Amino acid sequence: MKDNLPDKDGFFGEYGGKFVPETLMYALNELEQTYKTLKDNNDFNAEFHRDLAEFVGRPSPLYFAKRLTEHYNTASIWLKREDLNHTGAHKINNTVGQILLAKYMGKKRIIAETGAGQHGVATATVAARLGLDCHIYMGSEDVRRQSLNVYRMKLLGAEVHEVNSGSATLKDALNEALRDWVTNIEDTYYIIGSVTGPHPYPMIVRDFNAVVGYELIDQSQESFGRMPDSIIACVGGGSNAMGIFYPFIKMDNVELIGVEAAGKGIETGEHAAPLNDGTPGVLHGAKSYLMQDKSGQVKGTASISAGLDYPGVGPEHSWLKDVKRAKYVAVSDDEVMKAFHMVNKMEGILPALETAHAFAYLDELMPNMNKDQHIVINVSGRGDKDLNSVVEIEDIKL
Amino acid sequence: MKRIEKKLKELSQDNQKAFVGYIVAGDPDLETSLQLMHLSVDSGVDILEIGVPFTDPIAEGPTIQQAHDRSLENETNLQKIIDLICKFREKDTNTPIILMGYINNFLMYKDLINRSHELGVDGVLVVDIPGELSLEDYGIDNQDLDIISLVSPTTSKERVKEIVKNSTGFIYYVTLRGVTGSSNLDGNEIEQNIKYIKSISSIPVMAGFGIKNSDDAKLLSSFSDGIVIGSSIVELIYKNSENKDFHEVSDYISNMKDAIR
Repeated sequence: MKDNLPDKDGFFGEYGGKFVPETLMYALNELEQTYKTLKDNNDFNAEFHRDLAEFVGRPSPLYFAKRLTEHYNTASIWLKREDLNHTGAHKINNTVGQILLAKYMGKKRIIAETGAGQHGVATATVAARLGLDCHIYMGSEDVRRQSLNVYRMKLLGAEVHEVNSGSATLKDALNEALRDWVTNIEDTYYIIGSVTGPHPYPMIVRDFNAVVGYELIDQSQESFGRMPDSIIACVGGGSNAMGIFYPFIKMDNVELIGVEAAGKGIETGEHAAPLNDGTPGVLHGAKSYLMQDKSGQVKGTASISAGLDYPGVGPEHSWLKDVKRAKYVAVSDDEVMKAFHMVNKMEGILPALETAHAFAYLDELMPNMNKDQHIVINVSGRGDKDLNSVVEIEDIKL
Repeated sequence: MKRIEKKLKELSQDNQKAFVGYIVAGDPDLETSLQLMHLSVDSGVDILEIGVPFTDPIAEGPTIQQAHDRSLENETNLQKIIDLICKFREKDTNTPIILMGYINNFLMYKDLINRSHELGVDGVLVVDIPGELSLEDYGIDNQDLDIISLVSPTTSKERVKEIVKNSTGFIYYVTLRGVTGSSNLDGNEIEQNIKYIKSISSIPVMAGFGIKNSDDAKLLSSFSDGIVIGSSIVELIYKNSENKDFHEVSDYISNMKDAIR
C-alpha cells in the first residue's frame, strides 16, 4: 500500500481537501508553503527532535504488559507509552511541532480547540514556553467534565473560552476556533489538535505524530526481532492512531486496528463512531466519514470520553477504511469501563478513557491470536484527568 | 437572459445599486419566511439570498448561527426550502433568488439542486467551497444556475483571477476579515480590492459582511454594484418573531435602499 498521500490538493482518495470560507484560504496556503519549505530543513528538524527529546521526554518506552499477556494467554501484548510524555498524552508531539511552525511564521497569537483538554493543555504548554498569547476554545459540557485540565490551562497562562453553541462539545469548540481564525487571520496561528480540518492540517498533524510509529519500528526490532502483527489505537479525530499507523501503512502484513467509541451501543445511534456507522460528508473543512442525518445535518454524539466525542474523523482514516488497509471497530462505554479497571489492576497503569477504548478491544481480538504473535497498543494518554468523571459514572463516594 | 443578469442590468440602466437581502429559511418558520420574502421585495430588496440552515455554519457570527439553530428546530431542509421558493414564485417571477449555504447540505440534495432552476432558484453560493474549484466536480451541474463566489480581503490576486473565471451572476466581495455580523470596515481597502476585480472582469461585484447602518451602505455602494445585508435583517426578524409584526424589518430595508440610491 502506498503512503505518499495526500495529493497536491490535499486529498486522500476522495477524502480531505480544503472546504473552507474564502478568508481562510490565504492562511491555509501560507501554512502549506511554510511547511513544505521547513519539513526537509535540517535546522527545523533538529530543533523539533531536540524538543521532543528534552522537553517531551522521547522516545516513549515500548513496555511488555506481562500480566495482560498472561491473562489472555495468546499473543504478547506491548504498550507504546505515550502516557509518559510531558503533559500526559501524545498530543504534545503535534503541538511541539506546530508551535515551531508558528514561530518560523512570526505569529504572535495561538488558538486551539480542545475536547478532553489534553490538546488544550499541550497547546497552552508550548505557548507558555515561547511566551505567546494563547486562547483555547472548549465546549461548556467538556469544561464541566474536564475541569482539572481547564485549571491546568489557566495555570499555563491561557485564556479558556467556553463554547455554548450547538452540542457544547469538541465539534462546537472547533467551529468557534475557526471563527476566531477567520477574524484574526493575520497574526494568529491555529494549532488544530487532530488529523482533522482542512488541508494541510491532516498531513501536518500526522507527520508530527508519526514519530510514535517510527520509534515503534526500531523498538519492535529490538524487543521481539520483527514488526508487530497488529497495532491497536483509539480513534476520535484519529491523531494518535494516524501517528502510530503511518510508518506501517506500506508494511502490508502489519494489521492496523482503530477503535471508535460505540457509546451506548452502535445500534442505539448514541455513539461517536462515524467510521462504523456514518456516511461521507464535509465537516470542518474536510470530506470524511461523518455522523449525519439524511438532510446533511451533523448529528449529536455520545461517548464516555470527551476526547472521542466527535462526529467526524480524520480523512486519511476514511481512506484507509475504504481501501481496507485499516480495520475500524467500536467498543461501548461499558466495555471501556471494564478495560479501564483491568489495566489499572493488572498493569499499574491509569489509562485515559480514550485510551481504554483500545484496551477494550482485546477481549474480542486476543482469542484469535497465537502465542508467537505480538500486538502493540498505543497508550495515547494517562487518565488522571478522568478521575472526576469515573467517580461520577460509578457513583463513588470519596 | 438569466434573472440575476436581467435584474442587475435593469438597475444599472436606472443608475441604481442592487440591494441583496439575506434571510434564513425557516426562521421563525417556513410560512413566515414566505411572508418575509415578499415583504423584503416590497420594501426594496432586489435580490433575495435564502440561507440554508446548517448545524455547523463556520462562517457565521452568533446572530445568523442562532437563526440556523432556530430553523433546524423546525426541521427545515433543502426540500422544504425549494417548496418555499415554488410558493414564492406563484406571486413573484422577477426577483432573483440565491441559495446560500454549506456544501454538506447541498451534497445531500444534488439532484434537487440540479433541478432547482426550473423550480425558481437562480443561483447558489456555497460558503465552504473555494471559488477556484468547480461545483461540477461535486455533482452540482446545471448551466442555468449562477454560481456565486466569495472574494475576501485576504484573497491573492492570482486566486481572484481564477475565481472570477469560474463565477457567474456576480462576485460577493467579503468586506472584512471575520464572520457575518462583525464590524470594522476598512473603506479604503475595500475600494482598492473591488477596483482590482473590476479591472480584470466585467462581472458585477456586491459588497457584504458587516454592513449595519445607512452610512456603511452608502459608502460601500459607492464603489460596488450593490450591497448584501444579512445579520441586521435576521436580528430584526428575530426581535419581532413573537408578535409577527415585521414593520421594523420593512422600515430598515427601505432606509437602506434609500441610502444606496
